[in-house]
Amino acid sequence: MANNFGNRPSISPTTIVVAAVYLLVSVVGINWFTTFIPGIFPPQASAESKSVDELFFILMIVGGIVFFLIQGMLLISVIAFRARRDDTSDGPTYHGNVVLEIVWTVIPALVVVFLAVISFNVWSQNSAPKANVNMVNGASIPINVIGARYAWTHTYETGRLTPNGDPIIINSGANLHTYIGQNVDLSLQTQDVIHSYWVPAMRVKQDLLPGDPRQGGRPTELRFTPVRIEGVAYPAEYPIVCAELCGDGHGRMRGAVIVYEDEGQFLEQFFEPAIHAILNPPADPVLRGEVEIQNYICNSCHVLDSLGWTGLTGPPLNGIADRAGERVPGQSAEEYIANSIWDSGAFRVPGYDQQMAAFGPEVIDPLNVMTPEQLYSIVAYLCTIGEQSDCDMENSVTAIPDAIKTVFGMEVDITFGMDGAATDDEISDTGAVEEAAESNTDNDSA
Amino acid sequence: MATIAVPLGGGQTTQEIEAVKRPALSEYLRWSVDHKIIGVQYGVTSLLFFIIGGALAMGIRLELWTPELDFMVSGAAYNSLFTMHGTIMIFLFIIPMWAAYGNFVVPLQLGAKDMAFPWLNAFAFWLIPPAGVVMLLGYFVSPAEAGWTSYPPLSTLFSGDGQTLWALGAHLLGLSSILGSINFIVTILNMRPPEMTIWRMPLLCWAVLATSIIAVMATPFLAGALTLLLLDRMTGTTFFDASGGGDVLLWQNIFWFYSHPAVYIMVLPGMGVLSEVLSIHSRKPVFGYRMVGLSSMAIAIVGFTVWAHHMFTSLQPELRIPFMITTMIIAVPTGIKMFSWLGTIWGGKIRFTSAMLFGLGFMSMFVIGGITGVMLAALPFDIHVHDTYFVVSHFHFVLFGGSVFAIYAALYHWFPKITGRMMDETLGRIHFVFTYLGFLITFFPMHIVGMLGMPRRVAVYDPAFTDFNRLISFAAFVLGFSTFIVLYNIVRSYFHGPIAGANPWRALTLEWATTSPPPPTNFHDDPIPYEDPYGYGTKAASAYIEAIDMAFDRREPAPSGAD
Amino acid sequence: MTTYIERTEKQKISDQRAAAIRLKNNRLGMNIFQVSWIMAFIALIVVNWQLRFNYSQWPPAGVPPFDLILPSVATLALLISSVLVVQALKVLRRGFPMAFLVKWRLAIGLGALFMAIIVYEFLNVSDAAMATQYGNTFRLMTGFHFVHALAILAIMCRVYQGAKLGKYSGDEHDSWAVEGAAKLWYFVTFAWMLFYLVLYWIR
Repeated sequence: MANNFGNRPSISPTTIVVAAVYLLVSVVGINWFTTFIPGIFPPQASAESKSVDELFFILMIVGGIVFFLIQGMLLISVIAFRARRDDTSDGPTYHGNVVLEIVWTVIPALVVVFLAVISFNVWSQNSAPKANVNMVNGASIPINVIGARYAWTHTYETGRLTPNGDPIIINSGANLHTYIGQNVDLSLQTQDVIHSYWVPAMRVKQDLLPGDPRQGGRPTELRFTPVRIEGVAYPAEYPIVCAELCGDGHGRMRGAVIVYEDEGQFLEQFFEPAIHAILNPPADPVLRGEVEIQNYICNSCHVLDSLGWTGLTGPPLNGIADRAGERVPGQSAEEYIANSIWDSGAFRVPGYDQQMAAFGPEVIDPLNVMTPEQLYSIVAYLCTIGEQSDCDMENSVTAIPDAIKTVFGMEVDITFGMDGAATDDEISDTGAVEEAAESNTDNDSA
Repeated sequence: MATIAVPLGGGQTTQEIEAVKRPALSEYLRWSVDHKIIGVQYGVTSLLFFIIGGALAMGIRLELWTPELDFMVSGAAYNSLFTMHGTIMIFLFIIPMWAAYGNFVVPLQLGAKDMAFPWLNAFAFWLIPPAGVVMLLGYFVSPAEAGWTSYPPLSTLFSGDGQTLWALGAHLLGLSSILGSINFIVTILNMRPPEMTIWRMPLLCWAVLATSIIAVMATPFLAGALTLLLLDRMTGTTFFDASGGGDVLLWQNIFWFYSHPAVYIMVLPGMGVLSEVLSIHSRKPVFGYRMVGLSSMAIAIVGFTVWAHHMFTSLQPELRIPFMITTMIIAVPTGIKMFSWLGTIWGGKIRFTSAMLFGLGFMSMFVIGGITGVMLAALPFDIHVHDTYFVVSHFHFVLFGGSVFAIYAALYHWFPKITGRMMDETLGRIHFVFTYLGFLITFFPMHIVGMLGMPRRVAVYDPAFTDFNRLISFAAFVLGFSTFIVLYNIVRSYFHGPIAGANPWRALTLEWATTSPPPPTNFHDDPIPYEDPYGYGTKAASAYIEAIDMAFDRREPAPSGAD
Repeated sequence: MTTYIERTEKQKISDQRAAAIRLKNNRLGMNIFQVSWIMAFIALIVVNWQLRFNYSQWPPAGVPPFDLILPSVATLALLISSVLVVQALKVLRRGFPMAFLVKWRLAIGLGALFMAIIVYEFLNVSDAAMATQYGNTFRLMTGFHFVHALAILAIMCRVYQGAKLGKYSGDEHDSWAVEGAAKLWYFVTFAWMLFYLVLYWIR
C-alpha cells in the first residue's frame, strides 16, 4: 500500500492558477449578476419598490459572494483533490482547526446581523404610517378592497351624498385607480377565505383575513405610494394578483392598479365620471340594471360574457333568460330571477352548492343591500341575457314589478324616485345635481 | 502501531462467520420486528409514494405548459395535484425515507443488535401504508385541495370530504413519526455498547438524534392542529371560523410551529448522511466533528423559534421583526456545516462514486437554498416574494437539492450494505448528470418568475411567463425521467450487481464491520468500534479496515440465491 | 459439564443485562413520551390563549365564569389519586401486594370520581358559554383530557386485574406494567393541573 500518511493538503501550481482565474470570474460574475436585477423585477412603480430593490441588491451581493466562494471551493476541490485512478491511499488525518471554525461562525453571524439591521431599516421606512393618505380633492377618503372568491372589488367612499341623501360610493371593480404621489392606504376585507393582495410592481403584499362580520370584520392595511417611471405613458396599468390559495379560480383572481399622471388626470378620467354615472343612472331599466349589477360582487362567482365575468363557483349567467322560465314550475322567468337573487337558497341549480349570499333591502352586509328598484333594474337587465328570452319583453315595465310584488309583496317605484315631472333634460343636468350633492357634503363637514 | 491484531469484537474468525443470505422477499411483506427488514419496508414504501408524488408533479408541469387551464378539468383538480404532491412528498416520502435509513443504519452504526423497541418500530411503520391509502382515498370523494398547508377557512368551510381524509391520514403519519422518533432517541442514548461513547458516534446518529428530538417536541402540535381541523369540519366547532369567535391565524401559528421544524426533520438527516459520504469518499476525517454534531442540535433548538416567518404577510406587523432575526440566525449553524464539509473534502483523495457525486451535488445546490433562505428572512423582500415561485424554488432547493440529493447519496452509499450488491456506477453517474441538470434548470428559473410576479399554486398565469414555464416544464420532465434510471438501477443491481463484500468503501464506522447484508443479530458478537469514526489516513485505521476485510471477505463469496 | 454450567451462567448474566437494558429503555421511552405528548396539551393551551384575544374580556361579556367548587373537588380527587399511586408503587416495591391493591383500587376510584365530575361539567356548559370560545375551548380541552384519562384509567384497571392474579412482584424488572401505568397517571394529573390553571384560574 502506497499510503503517504499525515501529509498536509498540498496545493499544486495548477490549483493556484485555477483559483486565480476563478477569483476573476467570480468578481466579473457577481458584477454581471447584478446587471440583471432590473430585469428580474417588475417595474419600480412605488417608493417602496426602490428601497426593496436596493435591499435585494445588497442581499444579492452578499449571496453572490457566498455562492461563488462555496461553489469555487467545491470546484477547486473536485479538480485539485480528485484521486488518480490507481491511487488507493487515504487523505491526510486532519481533524479541524479551531481558529478557522471560530472565523466561519463569527463572520456569518456578523453578516446576518448586518442584513437584519438594514432589513429592519427598510421595513420601518416602508411600513411607517403616512400623513395625508388617499387625498382626493384635498380630502382623505377611505378606499376599501373586498376580496371574494374570485374577484377583487375596490370601493371609494367619496364622502358626497346623492340628492336622496345616500352616500356616494364608487365601485371600480377589479381595478384600483390612483395617481403618482398619492399615499395609498387600503383597508382590505375578505368575504370568505384568506386572500392575499399583491401588487408586484409596488412590492407590497398583505393577506386578507376573515373576521367576525358582527364586529366589522378584520380589516388589514396596505400602504404604498406610486412614483413616476420615466418613459411610461400614463395612465399606466400594473397587475394585482391574489397570492394566497383561495380555491378553484385562484389563478384568475386578478385586477389592475391604474396609475394616473397626476390628481387632475385622476379626477378627470376616473373620479368625476364615476360620480357622474352614479348621480345620473340611465332611466331605461335595462341599461340601469347593467350598471347596478356591477356594483355587486356577482362577478366573483358567475360567468357572464357580456360583462367579461369569469367566476366559477356559481352557475353561469350566460343565457339565463332562456332557461329562467323552466326552472321552477309555476314561476315565471321574472319571478324566478328575482327570487334567485333575494332568496338565493330557494332553488339550487343542479351541480352547484348553495353558497350565494343573501341580497335584499334588510341584509346585514352593507355590500349586499338591494332595494326593490335595484332588483327591478337587475332583473330587467338579466332578462336580456339570452337568445329568445322567457321574460315578457314587451311589457317588462309591468311584468317585473308585478313579479316582485307576487314573490316579495313589495311595490317597485319604476321611476327610480324621480317623479313623473322629471324630464330627461333635468336628469341629465348633472351640474345641478352634483352641486346639490357637493353642497350636501359641505354641510356635513361644516 | 505496527500491530494488525485490531479488536473488531470477539470471536470473529473466518470459520465462525456463516454465509449470510438475503432475507426472502416475502419477509418484507409481513410484520417483522427486525430493524433491517423494517428499514427496507420504510424505504420501498417511501419510494412508491415518491413515484406517485413525482407523477403528480409531472401533472403540475403539464398544466403549466400553457398559461390557460387546459390539461386539468378544473382549477380545483389542479389544486388537488399540488396539494397531494406536497403532502405525499413531505409526509409519505422524505420523512419515512429518513426513517428507512435511520432504521437500517443507526443501530448498525451504534453497534446495537436492534432498536430499543422492536415491536413499536414495526407498529410505527405499519401506520404508514394505511395512512397513505386514506389520503389517496380522497380521490374517490373530492380530493384535498387546500394546499399541503391547508389554511382554514378554505380547508374547513370550503372543502370537500377529501380534506377530512387528508387530516386523518396526516394524523396517523404524525403518530407514526412520534413513535419512531421516541424509538430513535432511546436507541441512540441507551443501546450503544460501552466503547461507543457519545463523541465517537457517527454523525448520522447525531443528526437522527437531533431530528428525533425535533419530531417528538413539534409533532404533537400538528396533532393538536389537525384535531381542531377535524372538529371544525365534522362537529361544527368554530375554532377557525371567525363568525363564531375563532381565528384563522390560530391554525397558521400551530401548524407552522410544527411545520417549520419539520423542514429540519427533513433535512438534518440528509446533513448527517453528507458528513458520512463526504468523509468516506474523500478518505479524510470530518472537519470539526464536534461542531458538526453540535450544529445539528443548534439548528434543532433555533428551529423552534422561527415559525412565524411563514406568516410575514398575515401576522400583525409589529410581531414580524423578531422572527426575521431568529430566521437569519439559523443561517449560522447551517453555514458551519457547509464550511466544515468543504474543510472535509479539501485536501482529500476524492473518489467520484455516485454517492460522492450526489453529496457534492447536495453542497452545490443546498447553498443556493441557504442563500435564498436568508433573502426570504429579510422581511421587506419577503413581502414581495411571499407565496410566489421564488418560495417554491427556495424550498425545492432545500428539500430536493438538499434532502433528495442526500437520499440518493445514501442510496448509492448503503445499497451494498442493505442488499449485499453494488449499484451500477455508470448508471449512477448518468443518473446524477440528468438529475443535477434537470433539477437546476427546473428550479433556478422559478426564482425569476416569482420575482417577476407569478404567484404559486395557480393553474392560469400571465402569458408573459409562458417561455419561462415551458423551459421549467421541459427540465422537469427530464428530472422526472431521471428517476427511472435510478429505479432501473435498483432493480438491476439487486439481482445482477457485483457482490459487495462487508466493506466496499473501506469505511471505519461499525455498519461496515459485519457482513452485507448483516445477519439477523447484526453482529456475531459485541463489536468494538474504532476509536475515531472518521480517522482515515493513519496506519491504525488502515489496519482496522484490513482486519474487517480479513474477517469477512477473504473467503468464498456467499452463493447468490435467486431469492 | 463445566462448559455447560459456564454457558448457562453466561446466559444468565446476559439475560440479566438484557432485562436491565429493557427497563432502562422503557423508563427513558416513557419519559420522552411524557415530554413529547404534553406538547399536544400545550398546543391546546395555546389555542385557548390565542382565542382570548378575540374578546375584550375573558370570560366574554355576558358569559358567567365557570363554577369553581366542583372542578376543584375533582382536581383534589385526582391529586390524591396520584399520591395514592405513588404510595402504591412504593408498597409494591417493599413487597406488600395486598396494600398495593388497596391503594391502587382507591386511586382508580378517585380517578373515576374525577372523570365523572368532568363529564358532568362538560355536559353542563351554559348555552351562553357555548356561543363563545369560552365554552368551545372548555369542551375541547376537557374532552381531549378525558379521552386520555379514560384510556389510561383502563390501563390501570388492567394492571389491577393482573395484580390481583399476582402477576407483579416487588422486583422492578417484572413490574414495569405497574410503573408504566403509574407514570401515565402522573402524566394525566400533570396535564390536568395545567388545564385546571388555564381554564379556571388564569383570567
